[in-house]
Amino acid sequence: MDDMFMRKISFPRYAEYNCAFRYIFEEAMDVRCIQPPAITKRTMELGAKYSPEFVCTPFKITLGSMIEALEAGANTLLMVHGLCRLGYYGELQEQILSDLGYRFDFINLSEYDMGKKKEYIKIAKRINPKLHLAKFAAKFMEALRMVEYLDEITAEYYRNCGFDATGGQYKAAYQRFITALYTAHTRADIEDAYRAVRQSFQTIPLNKPLRPLRVGIVGEFYTVMDAFSNLELEQKLADMGVELYRWMTVTHQFLHYSSQKNMGVKIRDLCTYEMGPTATANIWYARECAERGFDGLVHVKSAGCTPEIDVMPVLQTIGADYKIPVLYLTYDSQTSDVGLMTRLEAFYDMIEMRKKVL
Amino acid sequence: MEAKKTPVIGLPRAMLYFRYRTLWHAFFDELGIQTVVSGPTDRAVLEQGSARAIDEACLSLKIYLGHVEALCGKCDYILVPRVSSFGRHRNMCTRFEALPDLVKNIFRESGQKFLSYDLDVLQKKDEASAFQALGQTLGCSPRAVRKAYKAAEKTEQAQYKGLVREQEQLYRAEGLKILIAAHSYVIEDPYIGKTVTAYLKGAGVTPIRADLVDRDDALRHSLELSPTCKWEISREIVGSIAMHCGKVDGIILLSAFPCGPDSMVNELIARRVKRVPMLNLVLDSQSGTAGIETRLESFIDIIRFKEGQL
Repeated sequence: MDDMFMRKISFPRYAEYNCAFRYIFEEAMDVRCIQPPAITKRTMELGAKYSPEFVCTPFKITLGSMIEALEAGANTLLMVHGLCRLGYYGELQEQILSDLGYRFDFINLSEYDMGKKKEYIKIAKRINPKLHLAKFAAKFMEALRMVEYLDEITAEYYRNCGFDATGGQYKAAYQRFITALYTAHTRADIEDAYRAVRQSFQTIPLNKPLRPLRVGIVGEFYTVMDAFSNLELEQKLADMGVELYRWMTVTHQFLHYSSQKNMGVKIRDLCTYEMGPTATANIWYARECAERGFDGLVHVKSAGCTPEIDVMPVLQTIGADYKIPVLYLTYDSQTSDVGLMTRLEAFYDMIEMRKKVL
Repeated sequence: MEAKKTPVIGLPRAMLYFRYRTLWHAFFDELGIQTVVSGPTDRAVLEQGSARAIDEACLSLKIYLGHVEALCGKCDYILVPRVSSFGRHRNMCTRFEALPDLVKNIFRESGQKFLSYDLDVLQKKDEASAFQALGQTLGCSPRAVRKAYKAAEKTEQAQYKGLVREQEQLYRAEGLKILIAAHSYVIEDPYIGKTVTAYLKGAGVTPIRADLVDRDDALRHSLELSPTCKWEISREIVGSIAMHCGKVDGIILLSAFPCGPDSMVNELIARRVKRVPMLNLVLDSQSGTAGIETRLESFIDIIRFKEGQL
């Protein structure tokens, strides 16, 4: 690529975290960020069409999202690394896209040794050679703060939104917050958005029973968080009047609890070793929910996700030991809204009846 | 149990057994510990394994669980190792990482005891220390274990070198030569992979195994084809293809449904290795071999046609 080229970078859609990616690209690195359009059925179909048949679903969705980003004018794509198949996404996606005829610069974090801090600077310098390091560092931290706020507010939202007494104000406040994050330019913008949503959440009246149904959500890193991929599972369950708890967030997994050294201690009897990138956290949280007397668990994963398939036998053990119902949901590119709704309704009816009887 | 009685170790004839059998047998023999291996895979083994497994799990895991089931109650311990990594960009599929705990949870009602060792070089647990710990849990003295491991490793290396030499000779064989890229536990399994090699031999073709290759060479060469590939076994196979694709008439990418690494690596191989006819064959739990034979037959026909032999 020539020197004069103007970098327009994009990262595939991933839940609502794209607001932080945009902040890092535009505010911290001074490059244009092309936001891929929200994921639709078209994204999924595009991705599935060009992907290998039995790769996991997030590969297909992110590939589709990359194609849509290129269509929207991006000339640089970024792909993260990972411990499961995710670590190989980048190379194969780059190959598929260039075989399709697209021309672009591909920044594949799997090519770097991400254990070293120096590599981050190398990557940032590659994205923008004129990078101002001090500003980058400061703004990068602000983006992380944004992620923390986003996860904190999202968690609170799904705990309460099913009990909104005003018929929609709670959701509106949450959506205003998301929009504000996507358009934030400064630290003050982020803080203002956070304060505003906190205030709304505190003042909007809730109609919550003393002991509502509580459901814990565990599962695979992408599908469990991305509302499109899981067909708005959380909103659907919450709307039935359920308090939802989910540990798996970027904040928890990477920022607050990155090494997870001490997490295995409490589940040593269930699994001696680390079983996969998110296995320890999911098993730990599932047991935590069971011990706290939750009414049910939902396990979410994409079709073919090897680590999460391997977690399922352990969840079955937890389900049997603690007598807690577990709903196992697998999403592929065919999963239908109606099918999911039927299963969720049945699950809800069951845990509600159990609560009355027990 | 009396204190003096040495335990009997069960080895399921599936998954990493085909990679490590020489090492395991030699190690336990050196220590004077008896081993018992489950029988070859057949329909019953697969069906029992499928009944135990999560539906979506790969064919290889279903077969593995069938073998574990067959060993239950026939030995004191069943060896289910955790093999996670050999270094940076040298990982195993996460399934091998989860295997001991997976088996433990699935068979927890059976009362069977399991034995494991943890090979995870990224976490500073190399093979020598893993076997050291394994031997000591079996009540052997540290010195005896160290000696046994050293001897076993030597036996394994000598045996593996012989196998590699044998394969290298095949590349110079007369007639049609087809390279089969598959994990050892797929191609060597009598119920799934063996049918493919048997058919090829019957059709007068020399099947050559890509996975039997000098491992260090293969790891180095794999970077030419796929720089960020991070699965040890896949890298060995990819490297072997890079080294040998000019010496064969065709390549068969053979995988067990739905193998995680293969689902991506095979796609990449198909996109990057040109000029050699290639067949992507996915084995599932169907019992008939007619479908596979038809595909192999037409593949051989295509190669012969292309080379003007038909």
